[in-house]
Amino acid sequence: MVNEQKKVMMEVKNINLRFGGVIAIQDVSFDIQEGEIRAIIGPNGAGKSSMLNVINGFYHPQEGEIWFRGEKRPSMEPYEVAKTGIARTFQNIALFKGMTTIENVMTGRQLQMNKNFFWQLFRYGPAIEEEVEHRKRCEEIIDFLEINHIRKSPVGSLPYGLQKRVELARALAMEPELLLLDEPMAGMNVEEKQDMSRFIIDVNEEFGTTIALIEHDMAVVMDLADRVVVLDYGKMLADGTPKEVQSNQAVIDAYLGVAH
Amino acid sequence: MYFRETGQFKSKYKEELAAFPIFEDKIGIAIAALLAFVLIPIFGLPGLSWDFTMSAVMIPVVIFTITTLGLNILLGFAGQISLGTAAFMGVGAYSCYKIMTIFPDLNALICVVLSGIVTAFVGTIFGLPSLRIKGFYLMVATLAAQFFLEWAFIRIPWLYNYNISGAIEVPYKEMFGIVLTGAKSEPLTRYFVCLGFLVVLTWLASNVIRGRIGRSWMMIRDMDIAAELIGVRPLTAKLSAFAFSSFYIGISGALMVFFWLGAAEVESFDINHSFTYLFMVIIGGLGSITGCYFGAILVWVVPVILKEYGKSVFGIDAFVMENFTTILLGVVMVVILIVEPHGLARIWQIAKQKLRLWPFPY
Ligand SMILES: Nc1ncnc2c1ncn2[C@@H]1O[C@H](COP(=O)(O)OP(=O)(O)OP(=O)(O)O)[C@@H](O)[C@H]1O
Ligand SMILES: [Mg+2]
Repeated sequence: MVNEQKKVMMEVKNINLRFGGVIAIQDVSFDIQEGEIRAIIGPNGAGKSSMLNVINGFYHPQEGEIWFRGEKRPSMEPYEVAKTGIARTFQNIALFKGMTTIENVMTGRQLQMNKNFFWQLFRYGPAIEEEVEHRKRCEEIIDFLEINHIRKSPVGSLPYGLQKRVELARALAMEPELLLLDEPMAGMNVEEKQDMSRFIIDVNEEFGTTIALIEHDMAVVMDLADRVVVLDYGKMLADGTPKEVQSNQAVIDAYLGVAH
Repeated sequence: MYFRETGQFKSKYKEELAAFPIFEDKIGIAIAALLAFVLIPIFGLPGLSWDFTMSAVMIPVVIFTITTLGLNILLGFAGQISLGTAAFMGVGAYSCYKIMTIFPDLNALICVVLSGIVTAFVGTIFGLPSLRIKGFYLMVATLAAQFFLEWAFIRIPWLYNYNISGAIEVPYKEMFGIVLTGAKSEPLTRYFVCLGFLVVLTWLASNVIRGRIGRSWMMIRDMDIAAELIGVRPLTAKLSAFAFSSFYIGISGALMVFFWLGAAEVESFDINHSFTYLFMVIIGGLGSITGCYFGAILVWVVPVILKEYGKSVFGIDAFVMENFTTILLGVVMVVILIVEPHGLARIWQIAKQKLRLWPFPY
């Protein structure tokens, strides 16, 4: 599964992140290769979400470097990171509750749209052309994720599983090169998990999007991931293929240690 | 069946993106336009004198709808609270006065637009705290803006041209031989000027709201973390909302003094008025343009008409009527907010949906 010739897209090096006395991440390094599905696993509080927040620019680690596409990335704000082609979904759904599904997906096109205020003011010419063009793209994504029937529904009233899917649609609308998914299947039933897994694989294969995902369900991780990195109490325990990781003694201990 | 969405298929996204995609909505708009542009200006409102209709009902409600639009853009669409609305109207009014003094030959309508631009700048400056603080704390910061500006309106005599009275005195202005402002101007002229501003500003607001910039405001309102992640810069989104909103509020302030009151002192811009505009927005419906109309009408027109009817039809003492309408309005607001926290706009929407299915409600 691991292709040695693949290029490294992102590399985090010796990341240290502390909140006051709490050490969230301690000297963690790993890379994400172009086109792969990279899983990040670990018990609760291991620092997985914090790691994504570091990649996203929400948290600024006290120490460590982030290399993206062969260059060391300076300290960036989240909106700047978005411009580099990194999209993300959240562990706790972070949709725009006051908007419908299609409007939420349209927000993903924000960066691709650039017609200035005066065109917007009159909603004429380039502004409306741009709106129609991006609307088409969003409708395609909605088709792809099979959420056609809820296009016009306010997202707040949707069931949990569908909200997760709309969030994925919004992230896809950004046409990212690197997609970060924070527990995309948490709280779903088996059927919903299967659907979501299928979408993740499709995104990876059809669009060639590189994906890093956090997931607790080992069966899903075994199915989806090309490589897995394991965190525990902010430290890195293991890094390798799902098989290697699963048979790693330290990993087994960590998982048994938290009564899983 | 009145409001039928089914059967009206849109073959192009462009059609669906139009302002009023549903045919019945267009009829509603046409009726409202007929009333506002033709019927009321000719016949007035039943039971009220024509002069009263214009100067106490129609001109102010049109102006306050513009104010409400401005505040709703900030509060309802961008989620940034402000208690300084009245003071920003003051900024519009005083800057219009200064612009008219400095450029005596400038067209009055251009002066109004320019004062909106000045207010947009001032509003942006007072919007800066929103980059650091949210909700309750931001409310307190805008309260400070309200008091600071009120203070400035009194303490900086340059603003009112050192008039002994401390008030703005509206100069005589005309365009194409028609008197626009000042004591000699016709109520009808002033009404149509205000209505013109309202129509254009409503159109512009609905355009911006439905496009990229409007979405960036709603993103910040609903979930600022996710918004940032999608590439919305909070600084740009919040400050542009403050600027755009203040532009509207400034224009409404200038219109209020120059096309309605004819003179103004600092009392016209005090905190009580800020609360009134806030009521209009909340009663009408946060984040709804139609709601702005409903809110301004309910909060302004209904009490004025009730007071007048009470006096002329039932012979009730004006003072008694005043208290009665205040109580009534308070009760109505509480009831509306309990029944439907999203205001009149949502009630209207639900009613439309019911009508759409009528007479088969399933
Ligand atoms: N903003 C913050 N302020 C203080 N502490 C934080 C903050 N964010 C995370 N932490 C701490 O960092 C540690 C790692 O948290 P994180 O959310 O990254 O864990 P996780 O691996 O995603 O866990 P879970 O599986 O429960 O989602 C925890 O101890 C948490 O309390
Ligand atoms: Mg987490």
